[in-house]
Amino acid sequence: MVSAKSSTPDEQLVEATLAGDDNAFAELAHRHKSRVFGVAARFARDTAEIEDICQDVFVQAYFKLRQYRRDSPFEHWVLRITTHKCYDYLRKRRRSGILLSVDALLESGHEPSAPEHPAPHPDLERLHAALAQLLPKERLVITLLELEERSVQEIADLTGWSTANVKVRAFRARAALRKLMENQK
Amino acid sequence: MNDRDLDGQLDALFALARASRSDTSAAEFAFETRLLARLRAQTETGPVWAMVSWRLIPFFAACVVALTLWHSQVVAETNEAEQMFYVENPGPLDSWNNLN
Repeated sequence: MVSAKSSTPDEQLVEATLAGDDNAFAELAHRHKSRVFGVAARFARDTAEIEDICQDVFVQAYFKLRQYRRDSPFEHWVLRITTHKCYDYLRKRRRSGILLSVDALLESGHEPSAPEHPAPHPDLERLHAALAQLLPKERLVITLLELEERSVQEIADLTGWSTANVKVRAFRARAALRKLMENQK
Repeated sequence: MNDRDLDGQLDALFALARASRSDTSAAEFAFETRLLARLRAQTETGPVWAMVSWRLIPFFAACVVALTLWHSQVVAETNEAEQMFYVENPGPLDSWNNLN
């Protein structure tokens, strides 16, 4: 069902979906899922949580497809939804209140989200543990900036924040991360 | 340790994290099938009433406020009318007191 439409442009698949062809949407999901999974995996490390984020992204894309304006590629629109879903995930996780100290996280070898695939490098574990301690806004901006290598303008487009806001939050996030890493010493 | 060292260390860790992107291929397998199943379930079990009832919440809230205002106004008017009636038609005890 998916391969037959592999050469069709995204815009046509969007039109087909709006006309009621769910297989067209399945093809859109097939094309863009790797990107969405890649971003989600930067924030959640548990496979089930990553899957939940990605499903939420495509479910929202499906039900809000009429709001998609053709002035930017479909992938950009989906990534904007992904960014918001990841932010929602971070806020929910913070609200659920499992905030351990960095030492406790390192001792257990886990982030609060209980990764099924712990990072192989011990330094990476330290980084992930410190990232898990950041505020959702800080973690979002530092992840997009440093791990996804997005520019300030791109982050502003993805989050809906102003570029000045992105810069301030990135600066604060880096300072907070530096402090957390310093405390680990 | 000074800030520059820490910054350099952070940059090195970021580079390491960028290089080690986690493998999500297992989770991606048959993702579209699960997604379509969820979409079907949501469109089938998402009746119009569920959507409409949520949108009607402000309307019902406004009704409650309007009813409360109306009720308090009616109560105030009734009390006023009762007082007027009392003044114009004093009770038997008041008449007896007036006679004495």
